[in-house]
Amino acid sequence: MKIALFIPCLVNQMMPDVAIATLNLLEKLGHQVIFPQGQTCCGQPMTNSGCFDEAKKTTLKLLNAFKGVECDAIVCPAASCLVAAKENFHEFDSSKEAEEVINKLYELTEFLHDIAPIDRFARPINKKISLQMSCHGIRMLNLATPTEEMGKQRFNKVEAVLGKIAGLDIVYPARIDECCGFGGTFAVDEGAVSAKMGKDKAQAHAATGAQYAVGFDPSCLLHLDGMIRRQKLPIETRHIAQIINDAL
Amino acid sequence: MTELYSASGSKVHSHKADIFCRDETRVDWHSKALWLLREKRDRAAASIPEWEQLRQLGSELKLHTLTHLTDYLQQFEQQCLANGIVVHWAKDGQEHNQIVLNILATHQVKRLVKSKSMLTEECHMNPFLEQHGIEVVDTDLGERIIQLANMPPSHIVVPAIHMKKQEVGELFHQQLGTKAGESDPLYLTRAARAHLREKFLTADAAMTGVNMAIADQGAVVVCTNEGNADMGANLPKLQLHSMGIDKVVPNMDAAGVLLRTLARNATGQPITTYSSFYRGPQQGGEMHVIIVDNGRTEMMKDKILAESLKCIRCGGCLNTCPVYRRSGGYSYNYTIPGPIGIAVGAKEDSTHSIPWACTLCGSCTYVCPTKVPLDKIIAHHRRLKAENKTLPYGKSGYMPLVGRFMASDTMMNTSMSAARLALRVLPGSLLKPFSGAWGKYRELPVAPESSFATWYAKNRSR
Repeated sequence: MKIALFIPCLVNQMMPDVAIATLNLLEKLGHQVIFPQGQTCCGQPMTNSGCFDEAKKTTLKLLNAFKGVECDAIVCPAASCLVAAKENFHEFDSSKEAEEVINKLYELTEFLHDIAPIDRFARPINKKISLQMSCHGIRMLNLATPTEEMGKQRFNKVEAVLGKIAGLDIVYPARIDECCGFGGTFAVDEGAVSAKMGKDKAQAHAATGAQYAVGFDPSCLLHLDGMIRRQKLPIETRHIAQIINDAL
Repeated sequence: MTELYSASGSKVHSHKADIFCRDETRVDWHSKALWLLREKRDRAAASIPEWEQLRQLGSELKLHTLTHLTDYLQQFEQQCLANGIVVHWAKDGQEHNQIVLNILATHQVKRLVKSKSMLTEECHMNPFLEQHGIEVVDTDLGERIIQLANMPPSHIVVPAIHMKKQEVGELFHQQLGTKAGESDPLYLTRAARAHLREKFLTADAAMTGVNMAIADQGAVVVCTNEGNADMGANLPKLQLHSMGIDKVVPNMDAAGVLLRTLARNATGQPITTYSSFYRGPQQGGEMHVIIVDNGRTEMMKDKILAESLKCIRCGGCLNTCPVYRRSGGYSYNYTIPGPIGIAVGAKEDSTHSIPWACTLCGSCTYVCPTKVPLDKIIAHHRRLKAENKTLPYGKSGYMPLVGRFMASDTMMNTSMSAARLALRVLPGSLLKPFSGAWGKYRELPVAPESSFATWYAKNRSR
């Protein structure tokens, strides 16, 4: 497939390794990958603060970077940014071209589970990982059944994708899908509560004895990483793209 | 603790939350106690296969009733009148309190026993009646504890959840004369029971809240675990029930749906110990129902906010909320805390900060037994605050700058590479102006040498 990478500003500026791993793994899987120029922030910091006017310019700039780009899918290694991009594109542009972009947007896990599943991994990874089930991916992108929901057949796309990697021992922290407390500007506006949530989450991951806390949402991983190092916990963060890329 | 609910000092959520967070052992204990309720809820919900159907039904029947609210309220009133119940209408809290006072004054009531009602808290009824010389005794154990301690509730179902048993023991020792240093829950409960029994037997009137009002029956449903509402309503000859206009449901079937989810979602019980249906005065007695608007009609004008009126006050959203569990009930600057408190209280919050006491994680929305879209409502409140130019935390100053910054390649790229460089070479102390609340609690990110875009241009461009 021909894939356009959507690399949100946080990943572009602060976690390029995640973007590189995403690019590499998609190429190893035989996809043709392009990186359209002119990408910027999805507007989430502003819209999450209620400031829609302030978000409009950057959102439309991001949307324009993908309009008319020839590709089968637009893939993003950040669930929260992807959700915000979808919502904000809808909010500010109701054109057919915008709709075409929106319909091609996929979060990486979603893409590797629903659209182009990986047949087999080349290399085993003999590691124990604790999965970070971030809120927006779970509750807004349906990457897994949230723990609040009952009855239905339960699913977990993250585990389904990573579970095929030989040697990988997947575990979960206590209170599996409780928020890590990042929440964008919440991390600063509500510093004390955010930090306590982050500390509890980091400790829960470390308590599993896993080497890595692995997630699909870079912003949560950034928060956990800052907390893990402050608390000096014996665990590190990794993005799923990095694990998958290593196994291919 | 008094620092948290006293009238003085900043009422901004993050400020109160910061105070609460200083005692980490207490935060852990508070968070765990409430998470236990969430776990009990999960087990209770999982035990009935039709749980998600019940949530859907609950949501639809509440939406239906709200859509035809005038009709159902009128039907309810007619059926009440036919059952010999006196019906009053109050447009706000003040009118509600005056109506209650008039009824009590007519009957020369000196002592009123009251069972749990968040509405009377919302109307600030207790202090009003006390000013007029009427003793109001809260009879729900948790409510009585906080009343004796002169505190407001910190949770809508377990109002004294913030107090440890030792603190209750000390309070009872001072107020009820229990043994010093005694904090055995059974001993304390027995003491409260004896104390309340005397109040029940000597009360002149009883008042309860209303969990549901059944339109085609002219009946009100009151749910308690302690039977205190029933003890009250059945002893004195005068009984009063206060309800918001949002409490009405069409019929017994609808009430049945909500009764199946209410207690399960609140405490994990299949049903509350007592679910009593009152549809007329006792022999020779009087029964009054006071129907209160207090801003609800106004809320219905906004399609998104209107959905918060589907709430049945189970408290499930508070128990699951990671912020509420770590900031406590007194941090919200409103009678009702937690996600539902933000939803119904944000408009009245003079600090404008409570819509930001949320990470938009969405857990509350998935827990809710009537599918109130709490995270969407909270996000909507933020938008309303922005539109009204009442943003907190300096957002109105910096958000336009962030917007412009993000939309400009030059600005973002130059300053971010400067920031990365700073993070790589400068000592932590010099980074303070950049780090703020982030650096206070967490290490700053380890910065990469270049952005992905730069890497890509170097490595992949043709």
